[in-house]
Amino acid sequence: MTFAQAAERHLDDVYGYLSWFTGDRAAADELTGATFERALRLWHRFDPRRGSAQTWLCQVARTVALDHFRSERRRTRREELAAQPERVDEHFAEGLSADLEAALATLTAGEREVVALRVVLELDAATASRVLGISATNCTTRLNRALKKLEEALHVAA
Amino acid sequence: MSQHDLTAGDLAAQLRAARIAAPPELRERVRMIAGSEPSHARLSWFTARRALVVAVPVAAAVAASIVFTLPSHKQPQPTALSAQRTERAASPPLHGSVSKSFGAAPALAPPPSRTRAQRYGASLTLRLATATGVSNGVKRALHIASALGGYSTSVHASTRGRAASATLVLKVPRTHVQQAVTQLSALGTITGEHVDVQDIQTGLNATDRTIARLQRQLRKLRAETQTVSVRRNIATITARVERLQRQQAAAIRTARYATIDLRLATPASAAPAHHGHGPLHGLGVAFRWIGIGAVYAFALGAPLAALITLAWLAARTIRRRRENELLSRR
Repeated sequence: MTFAQAAERHLDDVYGYLSWFTGDRAAADELTGATFERALRLWHRFDPRRGSAQTWLCQVARTVALDHFRSERRRTRREELAAQPERVDEHFAEGLSADLEAALATLTAGEREVVALRVVLELDAATASRVLGISATNCTTRLNRALKKLEEALHVAA
Repeated sequence: MSQHDLTAGDLAAQLRAARIAAPPELRERVRMIAGSEPSHARLSWFTARRALVVAVPVAAAVAASIVFTLPSHKQPQPTALSAQRTERAASPPLHGSVSKSFGAAPALAPPPSRTRAQRYGASLTLRLATATGVSNGVKRALHIASALGGYSTSVHASTRGRAASATLVLKVPRTHVQQAVTQLSALGTITGEHVDVQDIQTGLNATDRTIARLQRQLRKLRAETQTVSVRRNIATITARVERLQRQQAAAIRTARYATIDLRLATPASAAPAHHGHGPLHGLGVAFRWIGIGAVYAFALGAPLAALITLAWLAARTIRRRRENELLSRR
């Protein structure tokens, strides 16, 4: 598989994952581009025996997203000192009900991430845990907690 | 169905249905990025880490082989030297005139001092071809010792089949020790030689001074009124002076003679000769040093590896904690 084939096949996955993870479409757009640029540089390290291209690209995307979060946190701290930080309107996907959108907004980035990987991208526990760098059990626990929180938020909204 | 009636399955289905597709501009951008993929294909199995894992031990092995297989310039090839001496010593005929080889004394037998008292000891190991040669060698050695004014203190000889060996302890006047060693070494092929010279003049001089001091004390005491206490002191000092003089005389007597330990043996009973190194000797030495290095590396590396592991675990924990903190934000 060439890098171009992998990029074409998994672009939506990476973009979707980053959209859910960041909760910001504009940021996801930027980060997806950055992810594929980085992935191209590191493509020689990709070993199909150790995991699929989708998993590997999600791992790269996660690193890029974490860098983004760190720089965002530094920026927010600076802005908190000077003025009120800019609030990003979270919009996760098309076709979601307003209640579900609101419920999703109550999740943390870590919880949204595991929902994106396990539910939206339909990765199994082992693959998702590899992307997250945690154990499969931990990954499942995190997913259950996130779904429970979502359900509770929906119940409250109703 | 209202939202709060959603089951986990429904919720998952709804989330999945809202799967996001990348916008066309982004797709175009990623295609452009992918289009700039370098054409040369890299070997997937070849990584810098793997190359290092192979290269470092190979380099260490090669370096060790080079270091330990090259002849050292500091050591003047002892094997060649001993061979030369053996040839020279072997050249005189076993039963021929001993006086023919008098001119060349073995290098290890330094001349004894004419002015200072020395304890001179030498040991010679000679190889002879046959048991008869050993027997004749013993006779000649005793003859050499007595001819030079010496004597033998012990002679042990044994024969088993064609193998024979003999051990002699000879006392030779120190002034003739070089001559004796030269004549004895001509009895066979030298396989071992050892000389031990110890200066005892300093000790003798010190004893002389002590005796002189005690004698001065004695003269003083004898000049005094001879009380019981003085007489007792005189007796004590006199006894001490006599003891020191006896020791002095014994030391001088011992120093007058050199002790030569002579061992004669046939090849079968002789000490195993030092064989030359084979072509793989250097490799063996190199591997031995690599083994020693590995043990040291393990001894030093194990605690270091434990420390590195602990540091890595600590760093991972900190990183995960920070990551969780980062991801706990909405």
